[in-house]
Amino acid sequence: MLALLFILFAALAVGCALAVVAQRNPLYSAISLIGVFISLACLYVMLAAPFIAAVQVIVYAGAIMVLVVFVIMLLNVEHEDSRRTRVGFLLPAALVLAAVLIAEVAFILVSVDKASFPSSSSSDIGSTASIGSQLFTTYLLPFEITSILLLMAIVGAMTLARRARELSPNARVIPGAQLLAANIIDPSKALDDTTAIETDTVAEAAHLLGITSPRDPSKRD
Amino acid sequence: MKLVAITVVFIVVLFVVAYTVLAERRILGFIQGRLGPNRVGYGGVLQPFADLLKFILKEDIVPDKSTRFIYFLAPVIATMAALMTMIVYPFGPETTIPFINKTIPLVVARFDVGLLYVLGITSIGVYGIALAGWSSNNKYSLMGGLRSSAQMISYELALGMSLIGVLLLSGTLDLAAIVGLQSRWHGSSWFIFAQPLGFIIYLIAAIAETNRVPFDLPEAETELVAGFHTEYSAMKFALFFLAEYINMFTVSMLATTLFLGGWNVPFADALFGRGTFLFGLISVLGFLAKVIFFLFLYIWLRATLPRFRFDQLMSFGWKFLLPAAILNILLTATLIVVGVYGYFGY
Repeated sequence: MLALLFILFAALAVGCALAVVAQRNPLYSAISLIGVFISLACLYVMLAAPFIAAVQVIVYAGAIMVLVVFVIMLLNVEHEDSRRTRVGFLLPAALVLAAVLIAEVAFILVSVDKASFPSSSSSDIGSTASIGSQLFTTYLLPFEITSILLLMAIVGAMTLARRARELSPNARVIPGAQLLAANIIDPSKALDDTTAIETDTVAEAAHLLGITSPRDPSKRD
Repeated sequence: MKLVAITVVFIVVLFVVAYTVLAERRILGFIQGRLGPNRVGYGGVLQPFADLLKFILKEDIVPDKSTRFIYFLAPVIATMAALMTMIVYPFGPETTIPFINKTIPLVVARFDVGLLYVLGITSIGVYGIALAGWSSNNKYSLMGGLRSSAQMISYELALGMSLIGVLLLSGTLDLAAIVGLQSRWHGSSWFIFAQPLGFIIYLIAAIAETNRVPFDLPEAETELVAGFHTEYSAMKFALFFLAEYINMFTVSMLATTLFLGGWNVPFADALFGRGTFLFGLISVLGFLAKVIFFLFLYIWLRATLPRFRFDQLMSFGWKFLLPAAILNILLTATLIVVGVYGYFGY
Protein backbone atom coordinates (compact mmCIF):
# COMPACT_ATOMS: atom_id res chain seq x y z
CA MET A 1 0.00 0.00 0.00
CA LEU A 2 2.74 2.42 1.04
CA ALA A 3 4.82 1.43 -1.98
CA LEU A 4 1.85 2.03 -4.28
CA LEU A 5 1.31 5.50 -2.81
CA PHE A 6 5.02 6.23 -3.15
CA ILE A 7 4.97 5.25 -6.82
CA LEU A 8 1.86 7.36 -7.38
CA PHE A 9 3.24 10.54 -5.82
CA ALA A 10 6.76 10.05 -7.16
CA ALA A 11 5.37 9.63 -10.67
CA LEU A 12 3.20 12.70 -10.15
CA ALA A 13 6.21 14.72 -8.98
CA VAL A 14 8.38 13.66 -11.91
CA GLY A 15 5.56 14.16 -14.40
CA CYS A 16 4.77 17.64 -13.11
CA ALA A 17 8.49 18.51 -13.09
CA LEU A 18 8.75 17.50 -16.75
CA ALA A 19 5.66 19.57 -17.51
CA VAL A 20 7.27 22.64 -15.88
CA VAL A 21 10.03 22.56 -18.48
CA ALA A 22 8.00 21.28 -21.40
CA GLN A 23 5.05 23.67 -21.23
CA ARG A 24 5.15 26.67 -23.55
CA ASN A 25 2.59 28.67 -21.58
CA PRO A 26 4.29 30.10 -18.45
CA LEU A 27 1.10 29.84 -16.40
CA TYR A 28 0.86 26.11 -17.13
CA SER A 29 4.48 25.77 -16.02
CA ALA A 30 3.66 27.56 -12.76
CA ILE A 31 0.66 25.30 -12.11
CA SER A 32 2.80 22.23 -12.81
CA LEU A 33 5.34 23.53 -10.29
CA ILE A 34 2.56 23.74 -7.68
CA GLY A 35 1.80 20.11 -8.54
CA VAL A 36 5.47 19.22 -7.90
CA PHE A 37 5.41 20.92 -4.50
CA ILE A 38 2.21 19.20 -3.42
CA SER A 39 3.44 15.76 -4.53
CA LEU A 40 6.67 16.38 -2.61
CA ALA A 41 4.61 17.27 0.47
CA CYS A 42 2.77 13.95 0.13
CA LEU A 43 6.14 12.15 -0.05
CA TYR A 44 7.28 13.97 3.12
CA VAL A 45 4.14 12.76 4.94
CA MET A 46 5.03 9.20 3.97
CA LEU A 47 8.55 9.74 5.34
CA ALA A 48 7.00 10.59 8.74
CA ALA A 49 7.83 14.30 8.46
CA PRO A 50 4.36 15.89 8.63
CA PHE A 51 5.65 19.27 9.79
CA ILE A 52 7.97 19.65 6.79
CA ALA A 53 5.10 18.58 4.54
CA ALA A 54 2.74 21.21 5.97
CA VAL A 55 5.40 23.92 5.72
CA GLN A 56 6.14 22.85 2.14
CA VAL A 57 2.49 23.40 1.22
CA ILE A 58 2.03 26.63 3.20
CA VAL A 59 5.28 28.36 2.17
CA TYR A 60 6.02 27.06 -1.33
CA ALA A 61 2.66 26.10 -2.78
CA GLY A 62 0.62 28.63 -0.81
CA ALA A 63 2.77 31.76 -0.65
CA ILE A 64 5.65 31.79 -3.13
CA MET A 65 3.77 30.29 -6.05
CA VAL A 66 0.85 32.68 -5.52
CA LEU A 67 3.29 35.52 -6.16
CA VAL A 68 4.66 33.80 -9.27
CA VAL A 69 1.15 33.21 -10.62
CA PHE A 70 0.27 36.84 -9.84
CA VAL A 71 3.26 38.15 -11.79
CA ILE A 72 2.51 35.93 -14.79
CA MET A 73 -1.15 36.98 -14.75
CA LEU A 74 -0.44 40.70 -14.39
CA LEU A 75 2.38 40.91 -16.94
CA ASN A 76 0.48 38.67 -19.38
CA VAL A 77 3.69 36.93 -20.45
CA GLU A 78 3.45 35.81 -24.08
CA HIS A 79 3.84 32.23 -25.25
CA GLU A 80 7.41 31.34 -26.06
CA ASP A 81 7.05 29.95 -29.53
CA SER A 82 10.09 30.68 -31.64
CA ARG A 83 12.72 31.14 -28.96
CA ARG A 84 13.96 27.58 -29.19
CA THR A 85 16.83 28.27 -31.56
CA ARG A 86 18.36 30.98 -29.40
CA VAL A 87 19.34 28.69 -26.53
CA GLY A 88 21.23 26.22 -28.71
CA PHE A 89 24.60 27.28 -27.35
CA LEU A 90 23.46 26.26 -23.85
CA LEU A 91 23.10 22.64 -24.91
CA PRO A 92 26.65 21.54 -23.93
CA ALA A 93 26.28 23.24 -20.52
CA ALA A 94 22.95 21.46 -19.99
CA LEU A 95 24.51 18.11 -20.88
CA VAL A 96 27.38 18.67 -18.41
CA LEU A 97 25.00 19.65 -15.62
CA ALA A 98 22.77 16.66 -16.35
CA ALA A 99 25.82 14.38 -16.17
CA VAL A 100 26.75 15.89 -12.78
CA LEU A 101 23.19 15.34 -11.53
CA ILE A 102 23.13 11.72 -12.69
CA ALA A 103 26.52 11.15 -11.06
CA GLU A 104 25.18 12.57 -7.79
CA VAL A 105 22.14 10.28 -7.89
CA ALA A 106 24.35 7.29 -8.69
CA PHE A 107 26.66 8.16 -5.79
CA ILE A 108 23.70 8.35 -3.39
CA LEU A 109 22.31 5.07 -4.66
CA VAL A 110 25.67 3.36 -4.15
CA SER A 111 26.46 4.87 -0.76
CA VAL A 112 22.98 4.57 0.72
CA ASP A 113 23.65 1.04 1.96
CA LYS A 114 26.77 2.05 3.85
CA ALA A 115 25.30 5.12 5.56
CA SER A 116 24.28 4.80 9.19
CA PHE A 117 20.66 5.68 9.79
CA PRO A 118 19.39 7.13 13.06
CA SER A 119 17.92 4.31 15.12
CA SER A 120 14.23 3.81 14.49
CA SER A 121 13.49 4.33 18.19
CA SER A 122 13.88 8.12 17.84
CA SER A 123 10.63 8.36 15.92
CA ASP A 124 9.91 11.93 17.03
CA ILE A 125 12.62 13.22 14.70
CA GLY A 126 10.15 14.84 12.32
CA SER A 127 7.72 16.08 14.95
CA THR A 128 6.98 19.76 15.43
CA ALA A 129 8.28 19.86 18.99
CA SER A 130 11.67 18.34 18.15
CA ILE A 131 12.15 20.62 15.13
CA GLY A 132 11.24 23.67 17.24
CA SER A 133 13.57 22.83 20.12
CA GLN A 134 16.46 22.02 17.73
CA LEU A 135 15.86 25.27 15.85
CA PHE A 136 16.05 27.39 18.99
CA THR A 137 18.98 25.57 20.65
CA THR A 138 21.42 23.77 18.32
CA TYR A 139 20.71 25.82 15.20
CA LEU A 140 19.95 29.16 16.86
CA LEU A 141 22.69 31.11 15.04
CA PRO A 142 21.74 30.02 11.48
CA PHE A 143 18.10 30.65 12.39
CA GLU A 144 18.78 34.22 13.55
CA ILE A 145 21.03 34.93 10.54
CA THR A 146 18.26 33.74 8.22
CA SER A 147 15.71 35.98 9.89
CA ILE A 148 18.02 39.01 9.58
CA LEU A 149 18.55 38.14 5.91
CA LEU A 150 14.80 38.01 5.33
CA LEU A 151 14.33 41.34 7.14
CA MET A 152 16.98 42.89 4.89
CA ALA A 153 15.19 41.52 1.84
CA ILE A 154 11.92 43.11 2.97
CA VAL A 155 13.54 46.49 3.67
CA GLY A 156 15.41 46.31 0.37
CA ALA A 157 12.24 45.57 -1.58
CA MET A 158 10.49 48.50 0.12
CA THR A 159 13.36 50.87 -0.71
CA LEU A 160 13.45 49.78 -4.33
CA ALA A 161 9.70 50.13 -4.69
CA ARG A 162 9.54 53.54 -3.05
CA ARG A 163 12.47 55.39 -4.62
CA ALA A 164 11.71 58.36 -6.87
CA ARG A 165 10.43 57.18 -10.20
CA GLU A 166 11.66 58.41 -13.55
CA LEU A 167 9.33 59.52 -16.28
CA SER A 168 9.08 56.77 -18.87
CA PRO A 169 10.26 57.74 -22.40
CA ASN A 170 6.69 57.43 -23.65
CA ALA A 171 5.26 59.80 -21.05
CA ARG A 172 3.70 62.95 -22.45
CA VAL A 173 3.14 66.00 -20.32
CA ILE A 174 0.96 68.65 -21.89
CA PRO A 175 3.05 71.83 -22.18
CA GLY A 176 1.86 75.10 -20.75
CA ALA A 177 -0.07 75.92 -17.62
CA GLN A 178 -1.79 72.97 -16.03
CA LEU A 179 -3.68 72.08 -12.89
CA LEU A 180 -2.63 69.21 -10.68
CA ALA A 181 -4.78 67.94 -7.84
CA ALA A 182 -3.07 68.48 -4.52
CA ASN A 183 -3.00 64.83 -3.55
CA ILE A 184 -0.96 63.92 -6.63
CA ILE A 185 1.82 66.18 -5.44
CA ASP A 186 1.55 65.42 -1.77
CA PRO A 187 0.24 61.87 -1.17
CA SER A 188 -0.15 62.60 2.54
CA LYS A 189 -3.08 64.85 1.68
CA ALA A 190 -6.50 63.27 1.81
CA LEU A 191 -8.10 62.01 -1.39
CA ASP A 192 -10.98 64.41 -1.07
CA ASP A 193 -8.67 67.44 -0.85
CA THR A 194 -9.16 68.85 -4.34
CA THR A 195 -7.16 72.03 -3.95
CA ALA A 196 -5.51 72.48 -7.34
CA ILE A 197 -1.92 73.58 -7.79
CA GLU A 198 -0.83 75.33 -10.96
CA THR A 199 2.39 74.66 -12.81
CA ASP A 200 3.75 76.19 -15.99
CA THR A 201 6.36 73.79 -17.26
CA VAL A 202 6.88 70.06 -17.48
CA ALA A 203 10.04 70.33 -15.39
CA GLU A 204 8.21 72.19 -12.66
CA ALA A 205 5.43 69.62 -12.60
CA ALA A 206 7.97 66.82 -12.51
CA HIS A 207 9.81 68.57 -9.70
CA LEU A 208 6.62 68.95 -7.68
CA LEU A 209 5.74 65.30 -8.26
CA GLY A 210 9.18 64.27 -7.02
CA ILE A 211 10.12 62.80 -10.39
CA THR A 212 13.52 63.29 -11.96
CA SER A 213 12.82 64.08 -15.56
CA PRO A 214 15.18 62.26 -17.91
CA ARG A 215 14.75 64.96 -20.52
CA ASP A 216 16.85 68.05 -20.90
CA PRO A 217 14.88 70.81 -19.14
CA SER A 218 16.15 73.40 -21.65
CA LYS A 219 14.67 71.46 -24.59
CA ARG A 220 10.92 72.06 -24.37
CA ASP A 221 8.62 69.64 -26.11
CA MET B 1 -13.45 2.01 7.27
CA LYS B 2 -11.74 5.36 6.72
CA LEU B 3 -13.34 5.66 3.29
CA VAL B 4 -16.78 5.12 4.84
CA ALA B 5 -16.04 7.78 7.45
CA ILE B 6 -14.86 10.25 4.78
CA THR B 7 -17.99 9.62 2.70
CA VAL B 8 -20.27 10.11 5.70
CA VAL B 9 -18.51 13.35 6.69
CA PHE B 10 -18.71 14.70 3.13
CA ILE B 11 -22.41 13.89 2.85
CA VAL B 12 -23.16 15.54 6.20
CA VAL B 13 -21.10 18.59 5.21
CA LEU B 14 -22.83 18.96 1.84
CA PHE B 15 -26.21 18.56 3.54
CA VAL B 16 -25.45 21.21 6.16
CA VAL B 17 -24.06 23.53 3.47
CA ALA B 18 -27.18 23.13 1.30
CA TYR B 19 -29.38 24.03 4.25
CA THR B 20 -27.10 26.94 5.21
CA VAL B 21 -27.92 28.45 1.82
CA LEU B 22 -31.63 27.98 2.45
CA ALA B 23 -31.32 29.34 5.99
CA GLU B 24 -29.44 32.35 4.66
CA ARG B 25 -32.18 33.14 2.15
CA ARG B 26 -34.96 32.67 4.71
CA ILE B 27 -33.27 34.63 7.50
CA LEU B 28 -32.26 37.44 5.13
CA GLY B 29 -35.88 37.50 4.02
CA PHE B 30 -37.20 37.83 7.56
CA ILE B 31 -34.65 40.55 8.43
CA GLN B 32 -35.65 42.50 5.32
CA GLY B 33 -39.38 42.15 6.05
CA ARG B 34 -40.25 39.50 3.41
CA LEU B 35 -40.73 35.75 3.47
CA GLY B 36 -37.93 34.26 1.37
CA PRO B 37 -38.31 30.99 -0.59
CA ASN B 38 -41.11 28.97 1.03
CA ARG B 39 -42.84 27.22 -1.88
CA VAL B 40 -40.86 24.03 -2.52
CA GLY B 41 -41.86 21.50 0.11
CA TYR B 42 -43.17 22.36 3.55
CA GLY B 43 -41.91 25.89 4.34
CA GLY B 44 -39.29 25.57 1.60
CA VAL B 45 -37.38 22.56 2.98
CA LEU B 46 -36.89 21.06 -0.50
CA GLN B 47 -35.54 24.31 -1.99
CA PRO B 48 -31.84 23.12 -2.03
CA PHE B 49 -32.80 20.15 -4.23
CA ALA B 50 -34.77 22.37 -6.58
CA ASP B 51 -31.72 24.66 -6.80
CA LEU B 52 -29.45 21.71 -7.53
CA LEU B 53 -31.75 20.50 -10.30
CA LYS B 54 -31.76 23.98 -11.78
CA PHE B 55 -27.96 24.20 -11.70
CA ILE B 56 -27.65 20.83 -13.46
CA LEU B 57 -30.21 21.64 -16.16
CA LYS B 58 -28.93 25.15 -16.98
CA GLU B 59 -26.88 25.69 -20.13
CA ASP B 60 -23.16 25.56 -19.47
CA ILE B 61 -21.60 28.55 -21.24
CA VAL B 62 -17.85 28.68 -21.88
CA PRO B 63 -16.49 32.03 -23.13
CA ASP B 64 -14.80 31.78 -26.55
CA LYS B 65 -11.56 33.52 -25.61
CA SER B 66 -11.10 31.78 -22.28
CA THR B 67 -8.10 29.60 -21.44
CA ARG B 68 -10.09 26.38 -21.49
CA PHE B 69 -8.06 24.02 -19.37
CA ILE B 70 -7.59 26.48 -16.51
CA TYR B 71 -11.18 27.67 -16.83
CA PHE B 72 -12.32 24.09 -16.13
CA LEU B 73 -9.65 23.48 -13.49
CA ALA B 74 -10.40 26.54 -11.30
CA PRO B 75 -13.77 25.45 -9.81
CA VAL B 76 -12.32 21.97 -9.18
CA ILE B 77 -9.40 23.43 -7.19
CA ALA B 78 -11.73 25.71 -5.20
CA THR B 79 -14.10 22.89 -4.23
CA MET B 80 -11.39 20.30 -3.56
CA ALA B 81 -9.44 22.65 -1.30
CA ALA B 82 -12.61 23.52 0.59
CA LEU B 83 -13.64 19.88 1.10
CA MET B 84 -10.20 18.51 1.99
CA THR B 85 -9.95 20.26 5.37
CA MET B 86 -13.09 18.53 6.65
CA ILE B 87 -11.34 15.33 7.70
CA VAL B 88 -9.20 16.64 10.57
CA TYR B 89 -11.86 18.18 12.80
CA PRO B 90 -12.79 16.13 15.87
CA PHE B 91 -16.58 16.43 16.07
CA GLY B 92 -17.04 14.24 19.13
CA PRO B 93 -15.23 12.32 21.90
CA GLU B 94 -14.33 8.63 21.85
CA THR B 95 -17.72 6.96 21.94
CA THR B 96 -18.92 3.40 22.37
CA ILE B 97 -21.46 2.60 19.69
CA PRO B 98 -24.35 0.51 21.05
CA PHE B 99 -25.16 -2.95 19.58
CA ILE B 100 -21.71 -3.43 17.98
CA ASN B 101 -19.90 -2.43 21.21
CA LYS B 102 -16.91 -0.78 19.58
CA THR B 103 -15.23 2.35 20.88
CA ILE B 104 -14.32 4.71 18.07
CA PRO B 105 -12.92 8.25 18.08
CA LEU B 106 -15.28 10.66 16.30
CA VAL B 107 -12.66 12.12 13.97
CA VAL B 108 -11.76 10.92 10.49
CA ALA B 109 -8.00 11.45 10.60
CA ARG B 110 -5.92 12.47 13.59
CA PHE B 111 -2.85 14.41 12.49
CA ASP B 112 0.16 15.51 14.47
CA VAL B 113 0.00 18.80 12.56
CA GLY B 114 -3.76 19.06 12.03
CA LEU B 115 -3.87 22.84 12.36
CA LEU B 116 -1.04 23.38 9.84
CA TYR B 117 -2.81 21.02 7.46
CA VAL B 118 -5.93 23.19 7.63
CA LEU B 119 -3.94 26.40 7.02
CA GLY B 120 -2.00 24.80 4.15
CA ILE B 121 -5.06 23.51 2.31
CA THR B 122 -6.82 26.86 2.82
CA SER B 123 -3.89 28.65 1.18
CA ILE B 124 -4.26 26.36 -1.86
CA GLY B 125 -7.85 27.57 -2.23
CA VAL B 126 -6.59 30.97 -3.40
CA TYR B 127 -5.58 29.43 -6.73
CA GLY B 128 -9.13 28.44 -7.55
CA ILE B 129 -10.25 32.07 -7.38
CA ALA B 130 -7.17 33.67 -8.96
CA LEU B 131 -7.14 31.25 -11.89
CA ALA B 132 -10.90 31.57 -12.41
CA GLY B 133 -10.53 35.33 -12.69
CA TRP B 134 -7.62 35.12 -15.10
CA SER B 135 -8.84 32.34 -17.37
CA SER B 136 -12.27 33.91 -17.99
CA ASN B 137 -10.61 36.63 -20.09
CA ASN B 138 -12.92 39.29 -18.70
CA LYS B 139 -11.79 42.48 -17.00
CA TYR B 140 -14.33 42.22 -14.19
CA SER B 141 -13.34 38.62 -13.52
CA LEU B 142 -9.66 39.54 -13.47
CA MET B 143 -10.23 42.46 -11.10
CA GLY B 144 -12.34 40.25 -8.83
CA GLY B 145 -9.78 37.47 -8.89
CA LEU B 146 -6.90 39.81 -8.09
CA ARG B 147 -8.79 41.55 -5.31
CA SER B 148 -9.83 38.26 -3.83
CA SER B 149 -6.35 36.77 -3.86
CA ALA B 150 -4.81 39.95 -2.44
CA GLN B 151 -7.41 39.97 0.32
CA MET B 152 -7.00 36.30 1.16
CA ILE B 153 -3.19 36.54 1.27
CA SER B 154 -3.34 39.62 3.52
CA TYR B 155 -5.83 38.23 5.99
CA GLU B 156 -4.26 34.78 6.07
CA LEU B 157 -1.38 36.33 8.04
CA ALA B 158 -3.60 37.84 10.71
CA LEU B 159 -5.61 34.61 10.82
CA GLY B 160 -2.54 32.47 11.40
CA MET B 161 -1.07 34.90 13.94
CA SER B 162 -4.30 35.02 15.95
CA LEU B 163 -4.10 31.26 16.46
CA ILE B 164 -0.59 31.32 17.95
CA GLY B 165 -1.94 32.40 21.37
CA VAL B 166 -3.97 29.19 21.55
CA LEU B 167 -0.95 27.18 20.43
CA LEU B 168 1.20 28.75 23.16
CA LEU B 169 -1.36 27.69 25.75
CA SER B 170 -1.95 24.20 24.38
CA GLY B 171 1.57 23.34 23.19
CA THR B 172 0.32 21.14 20.35
CA LEU B 173 -0.91 21.40 16.75
CA ASP B 174 -3.12 18.34 17.08
CA LEU B 175 -6.74 19.51 16.99
CA ALA B 176 -8.03 16.55 19.03
CA ALA B 177 -5.47 17.27 21.76
CA ILE B 178 -6.43 20.97 21.77
CA VAL B 179 -10.09 20.02 22.27
CA GLY B 180 -9.04 17.58 25.00
CA LEU B 181 -7.29 20.40 26.86
CA GLN B 182 -10.55 22.34 26.93
CA SER B 183 -12.50 19.61 28.73
CA ARG B 184 -11.33 20.53 32.23
CA TRP B 185 -13.79 22.12 34.70
CA HIS B 186 -16.48 19.72 33.43
CA GLY B 187 -15.92 20.75 29.84
CA SER B 188 -15.95 24.51 30.22
CA SER B 189 -12.27 25.54 30.18
CA TRP B 190 -12.70 27.00 26.70
CA PHE B 191 -9.81 28.95 25.23
CA ILE B 192 -12.07 31.92 24.45
CA PHE B 193 -11.85 32.88 28.15
CA ALA B 194 -8.04 32.84 27.96
CA GLN B 195 -7.80 34.39 24.48
CA PRO B 196 -10.60 36.95 24.03
CA LEU B 197 -8.44 39.23 21.85
CA GLY B 198 -7.22 36.31 19.75
CA PHE B 199 -10.80 35.15 19.23
CA ILE B 200 -11.99 38.55 17.99
CA ILE B 201 -9.02 38.88 15.60
CA TYR B 202 -9.63 35.35 14.33
CA LEU B 203 -13.32 36.04 13.76
CA ILE B 204 -12.68 39.21 11.73
CA ALA B 205 -9.87 37.62 9.72
CA ALA B 206 -11.98 34.53 9.07
CA ILE B 207 -14.85 36.57 7.67
CA ALA B 208 -12.41 38.37 5.37
CA GLU B 209 -10.74 35.09 4.43
CA THR B 210 -14.05 33.65 3.22
CA ASN B 211 -14.85 36.83 1.22
CA ARG B 212 -18.10 37.49 3.05
CA VAL B 213 -19.89 40.73 3.95
CA PRO B 214 -18.54 43.25 5.02
CA PHE B 215 -15.38 42.03 3.24
CA ASP B 216 -17.02 40.80 0.03
CA LEU B 217 -15.04 43.15 -2.23
CA PRO B 218 -14.18 40.39 -4.75
CA GLU B 219 -17.82 40.14 -5.77
CA ALA B 220 -18.91 43.72 -5.19
CA GLU B 221 -21.94 43.68 -7.50
CA THR B 222 -22.01 47.44 -7.92
CA GLU B 223 -18.46 47.55 -9.30
CA LEU B 224 -17.54 44.15 -10.66
CA VAL B 225 -20.78 42.47 -11.88
CA ALA B 226 -20.09 39.26 -9.93
CA GLY B 227 -16.31 39.29 -9.50
CA PHE B 228 -14.23 36.25 -10.36
CA HIS B 229 -17.19 34.05 -11.28
CA THR B 230 -18.83 36.50 -13.71
CA GLU B 231 -18.28 34.15 -16.68
CA TYR B 232 -19.21 30.95 -14.89
CA SER B 233 -22.64 29.40 -15.27
CA ALA B 234 -24.54 26.23 -14.38
CA MET B 235 -22.70 23.58 -12.35
CA LYS B 236 -19.31 25.35 -12.48
CA PHE B 237 -20.86 28.39 -10.80
CA ALA B 238 -22.51 26.03 -8.31
CA LEU B 239 -19.08 24.64 -7.43
CA PHE B 240 -17.77 28.11 -6.54
CA PHE B 241 -20.92 28.76 -4.56
CA LEU B 242 -20.43 25.45 -2.77
CA ALA B 243 -16.76 26.22 -2.06
CA GLU B 244 -17.69 29.59 -0.49
CA TYR B 245 -20.19 27.99 1.87
CA ILE B 246 -17.92 25.06 2.72
CA ASN B 247 -15.21 27.58 3.57
CA MET B 248 -17.64 29.35 5.91
CA PHE B 249 -18.33 25.98 7.49
CA THR B 250 -14.59 25.25 7.81
CA VAL B 251 -13.66 28.49 9.56
CA SER B 252 -16.68 28.08 11.84
CA MET B 253 -15.51 24.59 12.77
CA LEU B 254 -11.98 25.88 13.39
CA ALA B 255 -13.32 28.68 15.63
CA THR B 256 -15.38 26.12 17.54
CA THR B 257 -12.48 23.70 17.88
CA LEU B 258 -9.88 26.22 19.00
CA PHE B 259 -11.86 28.76 21.01
CA LEU B 260 -15.27 27.37 21.96
CA GLY B 261 -14.16 24.02 23.36
CA GLY B 262 -14.91 21.87 20.30
CA TRP B 263 -17.38 19.14 21.27
CA ASN B 264 -17.22 19.98 25.00
CA VAL B 265 -20.65 20.68 26.45
CA PRO B 266 -20.40 22.08 30.00
CA PHE B 267 -21.40 19.57 32.70
CA ALA B 268 -22.43 16.90 30.17
CA ASP B 269 -19.86 14.54 31.73
CA ALA B 270 -21.41 15.00 35.18
CA LEU B 271 -24.86 14.15 33.80
CA PHE B 272 -24.08 11.20 31.51
CA GLY B 273 -20.54 10.06 32.35
CA ARG B 274 -17.61 10.09 29.89
CA GLY B 275 -17.47 7.53 27.10
CA THR B 276 -21.17 6.64 27.11
CA PHE B 277 -23.20 6.82 23.94
CA LEU B 278 -25.46 9.55 25.28
CA PHE B 279 -22.42 11.68 26.19
CA GLY B 280 -21.10 11.24 22.66
CA LEU B 281 -24.45 12.20 21.14
CA ILE B 282 -24.76 15.33 23.30
CA SER B 283 -21.19 16.30 22.42
CA VAL B 284 -21.74 15.96 18.67
CA LEU B 285 -24.95 17.98 18.93
CA GLY B 286 -23.13 20.61 21.00
CA PHE B 287 -20.40 20.83 18.34
CA LEU B 288 -22.99 21.25 15.59
CA ALA B 289 -24.86 23.89 17.62
CA LYS B 290 -21.71 25.97 18.06
CA VAL B 291 -20.88 25.73 14.35
CA ILE B 292 -24.45 26.70 13.43
CA PHE B 293 -24.17 29.69 15.76
CA PHE B 294 -21.19 30.92 13.74
CA LEU B 295 -23.02 30.32 10.46
CA PHE B 296 -25.94 32.35 11.81
CA LEU B 297 -23.49 35.11 12.77
CA TYR B 298 -22.32 35.21 9.12
CA ILE B 299 -25.88 35.61 7.86
CA TRP B 300 -26.70 38.18 10.52
CA LEU B 301 -23.63 40.26 9.57
CA ARG B 302 -24.57 40.06 5.91
CA ALA B 303 -27.97 41.53 6.65
CA THR B 304 -26.55 44.25 8.90
CA LEU B 305 -23.29 45.68 7.61
CA PRO B 306 -22.39 47.67 4.48
CA ARG B 307 -19.30 46.86 2.42
CA PHE B 308 -15.76 48.17 3.02
CA ARG B 309 -13.88 50.17 0.41
CA PHE B 310 -10.85 48.30 -0.94
CA ASP B 311 -8.16 50.64 0.45
CA GLN B 312 -9.92 50.59 3.85
CA LEU B 313 -9.90 46.82 3.73
CA MET B 314 -6.18 46.60 2.99
CA SER B 315 -5.07 49.19 5.54
CA PHE B 316 -7.33 47.60 8.18
CA GLY B 317 -5.79 44.20 7.58
CA TRP B 318 -2.15 45.26 7.51
CA LYS B 319 -2.09 48.25 9.85
CA PHE B 320 -4.55 47.18 12.52
CA LEU B 321 -5.37 43.48 12.50
CA LEU B 322 -1.82 42.15 12.01
CA PRO B 323 -0.22 44.35 14.72
CA ALA B 324 -3.09 43.46 17.06
CA ALA B 325 -2.43 39.77 16.45
CA ILE B 326 1.30 40.22 17.16
CA LEU B 327 0.42 42.15 20.33
CA ASN B 328 -1.79 39.23 21.36
CA ILE B 329 1.14 36.82 20.95
CA LEU B 330 3.42 39.04 23.09
CA LEU B 331 0.70 39.44 25.73
CA THR B 332 0.00 35.71 25.88
CA ALA B 333 3.69 34.82 26.11
CA THR B 334 4.22 37.37 28.90
CA LEU B 335 1.20 36.13 30.86
CA ILE B 336 2.42 32.53 30.54
CA VAL B 337 5.92 33.43 31.78
CA VAL B 338 4.55 35.52 34.66
CA GLY B 339 2.30 32.62 35.58
CA VAL B 340 -1.13 34.22 35.31
CA TYR B 341 -2.47 31.43 33.09
CA GLY B 342 -0.96 28.81 35.38
CA TYR B 343 -2.80 30.39 38.33
CA PHE B 344 -6.11 30.06 36.51
CA GLY B 345 -5.36 26.48 35.53
CA TYR B 346 -4.72 26.80 31.78
